Amino acid sequence: MRIARFVGRRLLQLIPVLLGVVVLTFLLVRVLPGDPIRTILGPNATPEDAAAARARYGLDQPMVKQFLDYLGGLVTGDLGTSIQSGTSVGAEIGLRIGPTFELVVLALAVALVVAVLLGVWSARHADRAGDHGVRLAALVGNSMPEFWLGLVLILVGYSVLGWFPAPSGRVDPDTNLTPLTGADLLDAALTLNGPAFGSALAHLILPVATLSIVVVAPLLRSVRASALEVLHSEPYVAATAHGLRGRTLLRGYLLRATLARLPSLAALVFGTSIGSTVLVEYVFSWQGFGQWALRGLLYRDYPVVQASVLVIAFCYVVVFLIADVVQAVLDPRVQI
Amino acid sequence: MPEVMPETVVVGAARAGRFATVLIVTGSAILAVVALAAIVAPLLTGWGPTEIDPLGTLVPPGPGHPLGTDANGMDVWSRLLYAGRLDLGIAVAGVAAAVVAGTALGLVAGYLGGWVDDVLMRVVDVFQAFPTFILALAVAALVGNGTGNLIAVIAAVNAPAYARLVRAEVRTVRESSFVAASVTSGASTFGVLWRHVLPNSLTPVRVIAPLNAGWAMLTLAGLSFLGLGVTVPAAEWGAMISLGSPDVVAGRWWTSVPPGLVLLICVLGFSLLGEGLQERAEAKRR
Repeated sequence: MRIARFVGRRLLQLIPVLLGVVVLTFLLVRVLPGDPIRTILGPNATPEDAAAARARYGLDQPMVKQFLDYLGGLVTGDLGTSIQSGTSVGAEIGLRIGPTFELVVLALAVALVVAVLLGVWSARHADRAGDHGVRLAALVGNSMPEFWLGLVLILVGYSVLGWFPAPSGRVDPDTNLTPLTGADLLDAALTLNGPAFGSALAHLILPVATLSIVVVAPLLRSVRASALEVLHSEPYVAATAHGLRGRTLLRGYLLRATLARLPSLAALVFGTSIGSTVLVEYVFSWQGFGQWALRGLLYRDYPVVQASVLVIAFCYVVVFLIADVVQAVLDPRVQI
Repeated sequence: MPEVMPETVVVGAARAGRFATVLIVTGSAILAVVALAAIVAPLLTGWGPTEIDPLGTLVPPGPGHPLGTDANGMDVWSRLLYAGRLDLGIAVAGVAAAVVAGTALGLVAGYLGGWVDDVLMRVVDVFQAFPTFILALAVAALVGNGTGNLIAVIAAVNAPAYARLVRAEVRTVRESSFVAASVTSGASTFGVLWRHVLPNSLTPVRVIAPLNAGWAMLTLAGLSFLGLGVTVPAAEWGAMISLGSPDVVAGRWWTSVPPGLVLLICVLGFSLLGEGLQERAEAKRR
């Protein structure tokens, strides 16, 4: 009940921030240079054509009217119509979000597991060779340009070794996968399509590896630091002094206390991973949300830019909210 | 046990201090080498960064071209050296501008408080509702990609974090007795801010700024990779990687692997420097 009230209050606090995001993006795309109409009509369009197109998308209306129309649409769940493709922005997002979610969720899952295992191991072997190796690797991972790492993995995994499929597409079209959610691996599993599952998995390995390597680095560093802090904390030292068994120490004292600090960190890392996802999708021609948003941005497709910015901001703040709730559940000391 | 404690703490602090020095020296050395190579580039290569070799595109590394040529027939080694000028220059200038702007905002918000603080911090909230790279992407796509614009983009996306950081420090410093003494002795608001509050609120900024410069390089290279930052033919590592990316599928490594490697090493230099400064600050606090 307390948690429900907390979530409710936080959701209310989100409204002004998101409203600010909406106003800011709406103004920015219109004030700054670039014209969506010119990019769809091409160089030979007459001024009359341009005026007609402008009227069709309501761009001839006064700014305040345009904004109120847009806001009215948002309230009823209508994100507008893409100027580039002429289709509903909401439908396009539905199509593009699945592949991106698949990529991000898998990469974050891999990164979390690796970060916890390696981070705790490293802390327990602090200041020995293995620990130094892990720390150096994390530092390198933290400095890694993800788009370049993706290219290097393609060079090695596809061009040299030939173990993985070419970086185009997400599943072999010959496998006749029926799309349900857009997340190909999930769709293949749901429709019991074995060949498609294998193909989707093969296509996923390199981009997921790229994304997890850059995501794991900051996580690993923090897990190690907090595990180290727990190892030196009074409760842990007391537990060791009482001669508790290693397994009890590890599970009951070290892991739980270390994990309690993880959610807020994971949320922060999720934020950086959104930026990396745009780059990784670009490298692997993933055709996900990131590439769609990037194209919208390049063509000044106002409704697409507005919607994608809003979606990203929304995901970002909601993930922070989820992190706070998980933290409260894991750590009884947190008051919400 | 308690008798031993102080000594171990001192030994630990001394070791941490030495380790911090190693990190700082290594990081600075890496950055110095890259910067120096960029400055004396004309001495290290006979090719200009945008000079086209009429004899061939995508020539593999060999005697004439130590790292081969790219798809435009430009010498990769030469471009690699010259690129440091733009990459380091834009990142460092952008972060410096972010520090100045963010510090000024944080100082005003934290010291004045009230509605000024409220308004500034709500604006910061909106900026921080986005991941940095996404924000940089959006702003860069909208304002266009001159060198000055890119510096402004780096500054704009990083300034909010400094504003928040400095504001938090200022709010603590503001309450200290030396500030109160200065105010009661009739010093002007500006005088108090400049002489007392500012110098005592900059510690976290000094630690964060080098790390930030490393991320700024990654941001810049990422933008260029997507075609929204520095564009070919100008020599910049991200743009070089972008130009070389189609070659990777054909197994040609020399157009995109070297620039990424140098970028990685350079960012690592900033990371080591920042890490060292952080360790030193922590060792001092103990």
